[in-house]
Amino acid sequence: MLHSSKLWLTRGAKLAALASLVTLAACERPPMQSEQSGYRGTGMVQVVNPRTLDDRAAANTVPMATPMAPAAGPKASEIYQNVQVLGDLSVGQFTRLMVAITSWIAPQEGCNYCHNPANLADDSKYTKVVSRRMIEMTQNINANWKTHVADTGVTCYTCHRGQAVPAEVWFKADHESKGANFIGDKAGQNSPAASVKLASLPNDPFTPFLLGDHAIRVNGTTALPTGNRSSIKQTEWTYGLMVHMSASLGVNCTYCHNSRAFSSWDDVPPQRVKAWHGIRMARDVNNEYITPLTEVFPANRKGVLGDLAKVNCATCHQGVNKPLLGASMLKDYPSLASGAK
Amino acid sequence: MAMLSFEKKYRVRGGTLLGGDLFDFWVGPFYVGFFGVTTAFFTFLGTALILWGASQGPTWNLWQINIAPPDLSYGLALAPLMEGGLWQLITVCAIGAFGSWLLREVEICRKLGMGYHVPFAFGVAILAYVTLVVVRPVLMGAWGHGFPYGIFSHLDWVSNVGYQYLHFHYNPAHMLAVSFFFATVFALSLHGSLILSATNPAPGTEVKTPEHEDTFFRDFIGYSIGTLGIHRLGLFLALAAVLFSALCIVISGPFWSLGWPEWWSWWLNLPIWSQWPLS
Amino acid sequence: MAQYQNLFTTVQATGPLHDGVPLGPGNSPRTGKQPWVSYWLGKLGNAQIGPIYLGGLGLASLILGVFAFTLIGMNMLASVGWDPIQFVRQLFWLSLEPPPPTYGLEIPPLNQGGWHLIVGLFLTASLAFWWARTYRRARALGMGTHVAWAFAAALWLYLCLGLFRPILMGSWSEGVPYGIFPHLDWTAAFSLRYGNLFYNPFHALSIVFLYGATLLFAMHGATILAVTRFGGEREIEQIIDRGTASERAGLFWRWTMGFNATMESIHRWAWWFAVLCPITGGIGILLTGTVVDNWYLWAIKHGVAPPYPDVFPAAVDPALSSGG
Repeated sequence: MLHSSKLWLTRGAKLAALASLVTLAACERPPMQSEQSGYRGTGMVQVVNPRTLDDRAAANTVPMATPMAPAAGPKASEIYQNVQVLGDLSVGQFTRLMVAITSWIAPQEGCNYCHNPANLADDSKYTKVVSRRMIEMTQNINANWKTHVADTGVTCYTCHRGQAVPAEVWFKADHESKGANFIGDKAGQNSPAASVKLASLPNDPFTPFLLGDHAIRVNGTTALPTGNRSSIKQTEWTYGLMVHMSASLGVNCTYCHNSRAFSSWDDVPPQRVKAWHGIRMARDVNNEYITPLTEVFPANRKGVLGDLAKVNCATCHQGVNKPLLGASMLKDYPSLASGAK
Repeated sequence: MAMLSFEKKYRVRGGTLLGGDLFDFWVGPFYVGFFGVTTAFFTFLGTALILWGASQGPTWNLWQINIAPPDLSYGLALAPLMEGGLWQLITVCAIGAFGSWLLREVEICRKLGMGYHVPFAFGVAILAYVTLVVVRPVLMGAWGHGFPYGIFSHLDWVSNVGYQYLHFHYNPAHMLAVSFFFATVFALSLHGSLILSATNPAPGTEVKTPEHEDTFFRDFIGYSIGTLGIHRLGLFLALAAVLFSALCIVISGPFWSLGWPEWWSWWLNLPIWSQWPLS
Repeated sequence: MAQYQNLFTTVQATGPLHDGVPLGPGNSPRTGKQPWVSYWLGKLGNAQIGPIYLGGLGLASLILGVFAFTLIGMNMLASVGWDPIQFVRQLFWLSLEPPPPTYGLEIPPLNQGGWHLIVGLFLTASLAFWWARTYRRARALGMGTHVAWAFAAALWLYLCLGLFRPILMGSWSEGVPYGIFPHLDWTAAFSLRYGNLFYNPFHALSIVFLYGATLLFAMHGATILAVTRFGGEREIEQIIDRGTASERAGLFWRWTMGFNATMESIHRWAWWFAVLCPITGGIGILLTGTVVDNWYLWAIKHGVAPPYPDVFPAAVDPALSSGG
């Protein structure tokens, strides 16, 4: 059977075209929007698919604020019982905020998600105890973490977005070996985990870095060795955290770094300083506000290791570099801006 | 005249694509041809522009010289000379020089009665270069997406473009390209070894035959591709490495904007097993 | 251009199959008395498959190697709870991990890197036997041992990665995991940890030889194919008795770039470029972490890192002001 080279050429071309189509079927398409940071030619660029921007905008619309209530009149702590936070607000302001919180957290369930309808002051529902602490947490973030949230600040909506449990939370991972106790240990990685965007990197970098205060930095500060004992494995853990951060903000590594020297602070984007504070803020939230509430929550709200849902970067950012695309809700709810104990 | 002992009989006229007899001569060992002239023109101009660019920069250190492309804000326009325009001119010269070199190789093949495999292979390499500095920037909407001309600065670009996709090793085309690169080096080491082991045999013995070559590889791994096959395989592996490299970069950005690990979700969610959770 | 380019064989002539050059005493008989013929392989190269020489060294290597491979697979299967469907689904993500850093150079528990060390041991033994095989098979045929020494270069890199460097660093945890994506994570983490491997000069050299070898094989493969009409692929004959194929091949390059190789010397260029890739790569690996802790800072120190104009407002490392 004779085959001319021309036949093979066309067959090969068809095969290549088919393979390309199959590959590209799993891909996106041009045009893409790109934004340069850094000096020209360094490759520090953010690439965004413009066809995702509508969905992004829709997911980050801020709910309409109700008109402000007058500050005049008796204080909430004078009229209501068991008002431990927000007591300095007028009754009108207090009620307005309660209505807003309901729509931000439990729009279907309503006031009774937290309150005993027979006695609104009663703390019998755990959700009320938790919410009180959450209000203090919000005020703390806005007052003491301006290094991260600036004057934009956060409200309950920033994380909760109309759900009692925010869409983006994390639990401690159960890294027990699935095979047996003598074989098959994944060492906390080597799974296609969503937390690290399907890389096989360590998939719970939150426990050591956003709950614990393990060192994230692994690089030495001198060319020659001067005692830096960080391992390659530790580096993978840091890398896992960084992949999470990138994905949570919808940005890539060059948003904060020039990868020629990740550890250098020479001519870096200002976002990197913000991120540094964000990590510390997350630790503060997880350790001072969430973990102490562990006994308050029922079992169905806990992870496999009995811990609570905690925050990471995605909890607020939910895929955009500034939560809610940078819109500030604080101007409509100034009582959440400060006052934390 | 630097001619080899057998060279004279091969120096005949003919085989030119353009220009006829006008440039059909040699300078020392180099064949000129019409495209030799254009090569020289683009090369001298491009090199002069690079040297001038270096002179306007902060250093003459060979490792640190950097000619950077324009800011993305210039889009696909011609940028001012000192703001990336120089890079654009040098790129034009490079493409001109590479294309001229290819066509000169074609003329030499024609003169020597050889197949065009070498210029074809070179064309694949030129395709990769053009993909990096023309095709991908056009698809992305700005010449500034090209790589800077500098020994270490172009590596900074590679690093940052890689991290634009969080973990570039997960790019499937990159995985194929790397595999083909390693396979090429592997095959080359075997081929070089085999020829040398047959022509430089055990001390005191005679030069061996192709039957020995085949026997060695059949003894070794059960198969010998043969004298013709290994050259086809080598050329294929090398060209595949370059083609998949060009593919892997042209899809990064224009056809994928997220991290590359995330691309693999299609496999994890195939209907055959998507109903089960990932354990 | 409907010209035949000699890329695929159009007409395959099958003659009597070749049993191989006879081996002298001290060798086993070959396996596969009836070598078979593959039509599709024959389109690219020789159609004959087999016979193979399965001597003691080869058998030992195969047994040890298959054992190591099986151990890796068992660990991967165990790590998904012995579920074969999850094994296939997650295959690229699965791995056999080296021990955590806490164990240093001690033997760790099986499930904490012990298997990784065992596999390393068996794999290394398997490769050592395979190396001996490459040497013996060449010598049995009276040929030079160039294949063995090329393989030794690759083994150098393998040993640097899995044995020499972990010992120098005092920790088996520095070794490479056995897994598709995980070994890529290791590669990225290695560069991240040591300040960007692009600034490691031996890494740069290794890449020069990698790309250079690819360039050379493209050049050499294409050149030979271009002169097959003159019998160019019969390289041994062309080496000892230069024919018009070698002359045209040499002249092509001489006229193109001013100098050329010979039919033999091109294989020396090829051998050295190919072999220097893993050799310099291994050196680069060995120097990392032992002699140099941060390659970018090393490059700054030696005046090699290019400067860029500052683009961002000056930022201070917040760890310095707030004490961590």
